[in-house]
Amino acid sequence: MNYGPLIFLASFFALSASWFGFVLTPQIQLGRQQQQTNTVNTAELYPQSRPGEARQGLEIYRANGCAACHSQQVGQTGTAVDVLLTEIGANSVAVADTLKAHTKLTNVSGPGLAAGLPKTILTGATMSEANQLTARLKTDGAKTELRLVPLGPDIARGWGLRHSVAADFLFDSPVMLGSQRVGPDLANVGARLSDANWHLAHLYAPRSVIKDSPMPSYRFLFEKRKIKQQPSSDALQLSKDFVPPAGFEIVPKPEAKVLVAYLQSLHANAPLFEAPLTPPRAPAASTNNPAAATNAPAK
Amino acid sequence: MSSETNKSVSATPDSDESPVRGATVPIWLIILMVMLLYWGALYFDNNGGWFSMQVYAPYRSEAEVQIFNVGGGPNPAAAGKAVYDKTCVACHQATGLGAPGQFPPLVGSEWVNEAEPGRVIRIVLQGLQGPITVKGQPFNNAMVPWNSLSDEDIANVISYVRQNTEWGNKASLVTPAQVKAMRDKVKNHPGAFTADELLKIAPNE
Repeated sequence: MNYGPLIFLASFFALSASWFGFVLTPQIQLGRQQQQTNTVNTAELYPQSRPGEARQGLEIYRANGCAACHSQQVGQTGTAVDVLLTEIGANSVAVADTLKAHTKLTNVSGPGLAAGLPKTILTGATMSEANQLTARLKTDGAKTELRLVPLGPDIARGWGLRHSVAADFLFDSPVMLGSQRVGPDLANVGARLSDANWHLAHLYAPRSVIKDSPMPSYRFLFEKRKIKQQPSSDALQLSKDFVPPAGFEIVPKPEAKVLVAYLQSLHANAPLFEAPLTPPRAPAASTNNPAAATNAPAK
Repeated sequence: MSSETNKSVSATPDSDESPVRGATVPIWLIILMVMLLYWGALYFDNNGGWFSMQVYAPYRSEAEVQIFNVGGGPNPAAAGKAVYDKTCVACHQATGLGAPGQFPPLVGSEWVNEAEPGRVIRIVLQGLQGPITVKGQPFNNAMVPWNSLSDEDIANVISYVRQNTEWGNKASLVTPAQVKAMRDKVKNHPGAFTADELLKIAPNE
């Protein structure tokens, strides 16, 4: 029997089904994404394209195979809701009763209730539990605030505030997603470690800042040179085992500088519609001026 | 001779294949496959998010994502700032103060803060030509029409300017519907408005 046409049709069907699933559908879903205004009222467009230095840094990141050991994608397993009590209102007795009945708080009678507002009265709840408590407290005349706390191992490690979304990579080409995690995830490293000198020292000698780091040192991105008259202002400040011999200094080459600019530009922490999150509270001093507080750059 | 060989050649594979062809798929396998298909469909329905681009791993549907967006969707004034930063800053400046004699300020401007937004929407849609007095200062220049922007963008940017408390503006929101209605009204207006002409039209019209 000649099964040729059947085999051809079967493999054609299998290949086209996976092409539809892996290529066409994602393209229809995400192919036309644009900068968007995020849902928390910051009015900033997200994402911003990286500055020119950082775009050159992406090439250095790519050339040195950083993506072989560092991923740039944060996972998330769910979202917990915290309820904050912000105002008690006139009927403090009713509020105290509600808190006693529906939360684990104990010290809610008398002055204990008003102490330390705004205070967290419910943590790790589901949205419906939080909404129930909010509704109860609203009838008592108190005011509350909801805080969304993304959960997951990556977030617990401090690698990001929320899961990564397609928009995070809108301006990157190629996208340095990475798949191995020999080192930590870098999706949000610019927000986590903002100090350029720390990054330079870490690239030159990883063990100088992190004792047991398995990262290779990238000394070829730096130049060891004789100090002629004045030491360069760019010279690395290294800890004692890594200091160059007297009369020499370690200066970053442009490659190292642009790579650090790229690392500093890695911010994936803006609250988006598809990645809901309550950003960390602004410093208390600026609470009188909500517009100024929310326009502050995400740090 | 040749017909005989053909016969014997064609007969052999037939007799080899017949037991394979005759075999039937056991009924339990069919039932198992139908059950797996059913489970797969349920799993897809629960976790697929229906291919919405807004739905990522921990959430299962766009409705679930929406539940977590406590603010209740994008703030029109916040979205308006994005439009302002692209469109208006060049003349009116990021501070909203404009430039003396050329570009009137939006900060505390009586034109911006009118209770009814009719005149402001007209200016944004059709532009403004010639002398105008804002906060007692004379200005004489031309503003280009921005009717290329969408109704939403115009409503958002006017809302942003009118509700910008940093600038001391405290007027009402403007909705896309208001802009759409005004767009139909001024469709046949030749060129830009002048200040005198605007003053003759009641602000709520």
